[in-house]
This record gives sequence, C-alpha cells and structure tokens, in this order.
Amino acid sequence: MPDDEPDDSEHGSAISGYGIGSAVAGVIAVAAIVLAALIWTQHRGDAAELRYRTEAMQAAADWTGVLVNMNKDTVDASLAQLHEGTVGQLNADFDASIKPYRELVQKLQARTTGQVDSVAIEYLHKDQPGAQPPPPASSDMSVFASRTDTVMVIATSVSETAGNEKPQTVRWTLRLDVADIDGKPMISRLESVR
Amino acid sequence: MRTAWRVAVFDVAAPLAAIAALLYIGIALAWPLWWVSVCSVLCLLVVEAVVVNVVLARRDGVTVGTDDDGPRLRLAVAGTAAAALAAAVVVAYLNWTVPDRNLRNDTGEVVDIASSVSEASATFAPQSPTASIDRATAMMSSQAAEEFKKEFDSVAKDLAGRNVSATASTVSAGVEAIGPAAASVAVILTATQSSPGTPPDTAVLALRVRLSKQDGRWLVDDVSPIHSR
Repeated sequence: MPDDEPDDSEHGSAISGYGIGSAVAGVIAVAAIVLAALIWTQHRGDAAELRYRTEAMQAAADWTGVLVNMNKDTVDASLAQLHEGTVGQLNADFDASIKPYRELVQKLQARTTGQVDSVAIEYLHKDQPGAQPPPPASSDMSVFASRTDTVMVIATSVSETAGNEKPQTVRWTLRLDVADIDGKPMISRLESVR
Repeated sequence: MRTAWRVAVFDVAAPLAAIAALLYIGIALAWPLWWVSVCSVLCLLVVEAVVVNVVLARRDGVTVGTDDDGPRLRLAVAGTAAAALAAAVVVAYLNWTVPDRNLRNDTGEVVDIASSVSEASATFAPQSPTASIDRATAMMSSQAAEEFKKEFDSVAKDLAGRNVSATASTVSAGVEAIGPAAASVAVILTATQSSPGTPPDTAVLALRVRLSKQDGRWLVDDVSPIHSR
C-alpha cells in the first residue's frame, strides 16, 4: 500500500528520535556506572589507608607504652614483649639497639611510670645537617613488608628513685618505622631524635 | 533476539540500575533518616512498576521494552535510570571524593604551616628581635597572635639583652588528628641556642600546633610543648 509509506517513515523517524534518546540515556547510564565504581574503589582505598594509619599509630603507641613503663622488676618481661612486636633488622639486633634503654632502666633502679603524649604519622622529615644519613630503609624488609611508615612518638616517663627525693623525668622523642606484615603493623626500626 | 535484548535492557536492567543507584546514594550519604524513607518509597515505586509491567506483559504479551507503540515510555524508563545513576555519581563525588581530596591537601598544608610556625617560634636573632615573632604571628589567628606576642616580648627582651641567638629546624612533623575544620600537628625540632663566649646548646623540642580553618585558611590557634612534664 503506497499510503502506508510516508506514514511508516514518519513513524520510523519518530521511533528513531526516541531511540536516539534512549541510546543517549544508556550511554550516560554506562558512563555513570563506570564512574560510580571508580569513585567507590578510590574511596575504599582512602578509607583503608586511614584505617591502616590508625592501626600503625596504635601499634607504635602500644609498643612505646611498654618501653617507657619499664621497671627494674618488669624489665625482662617488658623486653620480651617489645621483642615480640618487632620485625626484621630491629628484631635481629634487638638486644643491641635496646641496650641503652635497658642500661638506663637498670641504672635508675626506680619505679618508672611513663605516658605516651603524642603519636603521629610522620609526614615531613628533614635530615639534620651533619647527622649521618640514616641507613637505607632496611632492604631486607621489603620482602615481607608491603609498606613501611614512620611514626613519631613523643612520651614522658618519670622515675622515682628510692634514695633520691627528686623524681627524674625522661623525655622521649622517637621515630619508629612501622612495617605492614600481612596486615599486622610491626616495629621495624627505632630511632631516638637527639 | 532483538526482543530478548530489549527485555533485558528496558525491563530488567533499567529498574535494577535505578534501585542500585538509590542504594548507592544511601551508602554515600551514610543512610540519613530522610534518605531511608525517600529511598524506600522510590524503591517501592520501581518494584511496583516492574510488577505492573510483568502483569501487563502476561496479559498483552508485550512489555515496556518491546512495545513498538510506546517509545515515549521506553525513553522515560531509560532516562529515569540514567538520571538515578548520574545522581549517584554526583552524590558520591561530593560525599567521598571531595572530602578525601580535601583531607589530603589539608594534611600537607597544616604540616607545612605547623613546621614553619614552630621553627619561627623557636628562632631568635638579637639583631632583629621581632622578625621571627612577626613571621610566626602572621600564620596565627588574631587572638593567638596577641597572646603569643605578649608571652614572647619579655623573653625576646631578655634574650636580646644577653645577645643570645637561637635557631631551630624541623626534624619531623606529622598530623596527630585532622578534621575538616581543625587539626593538631606534632612537630619535632632541634633548637640551638648560642651566645658569644659559650658553646652552642642544642635541644630537641616537641611542639603541638593546633590549627583551625577560618574562611578557607588554616590558622594556628596554639603552640604548646607536647611533653607532659
């Protein structure tokens, strides 16, 4: 039927107009799905990063809490506990690197109570002029640790000696490297800023 | 084949996408009460429309997706689904991406400010006693600047009288806590005091710098020593 032809084409063009509209909506929808997925993964990554930083700071704070609360009676138990929280080079050389602290505790022969004053993930670090460059971030760690962050821990401990009336205050400014070992933050380096 | 494709896109995928977008917005907004209710109503409407579509398809043998006489409705369905997804992207961008990015930028900014304020507050030159104080107060809120000036004027006079000069440099700085409008930064610095005739005296200082964001600018509210005694 010839009469149908213009009618059909008119109908056809109307359909294609709506069809184009639907296709555009479809493209927008697909693009939106891709963007939404991207935003979602990025946000999850950021949230996980913040969560990990909190864990690393908590681990460093707990570890330092033990370190600054060492008494002459509890020194061995404390050191064992500290040793457990370390990994890598610090774990291997634990006795050597912790020696000054142990000697301090034993020399003071005192009741020590300490508190952690501040914990922060280090964001900015400037090497001191004249200071020897820090040992290259223990390369042996990279095998086990997926990442290593430096945490600044600032603590104060007060030692009350039996003979001496005046309590002795020790101010700690520490930089701890916290390595991520299978999701568990462990201390891999200890540096006292002085 | 074409029929199956149209059913899959318009009758199945579009309502699913719309519901998914509504739920996604809910997650991005952290489910406030008003969105719980709006989302329930809208999801119910979508489900209702799907049910009507299925019932009519059983009666007429044609669905929204396959009905050649209803292109308008089909466009409306596709448009609604696309609009819901686009809204989800906008909401997620505003609620996740923007705050995450601001947090990152703010972190860098407050650490830099805290580091320079700490250095300036521990630096002193007898030749220009107010130079470093001015440098520090420029980054402070007006109230904190006043207090800081009051506190340091006498110290500055004393140091100038004894011809002591002090320099400080940041060792490390990091954020203790940060929010959209307030932050607390810990700064470790080494300070060296020297006066003619005596060997320089170096000490490690740990300072806590509190900042707040005023009119889009981070200003220092307080600088205090961290060690509790």
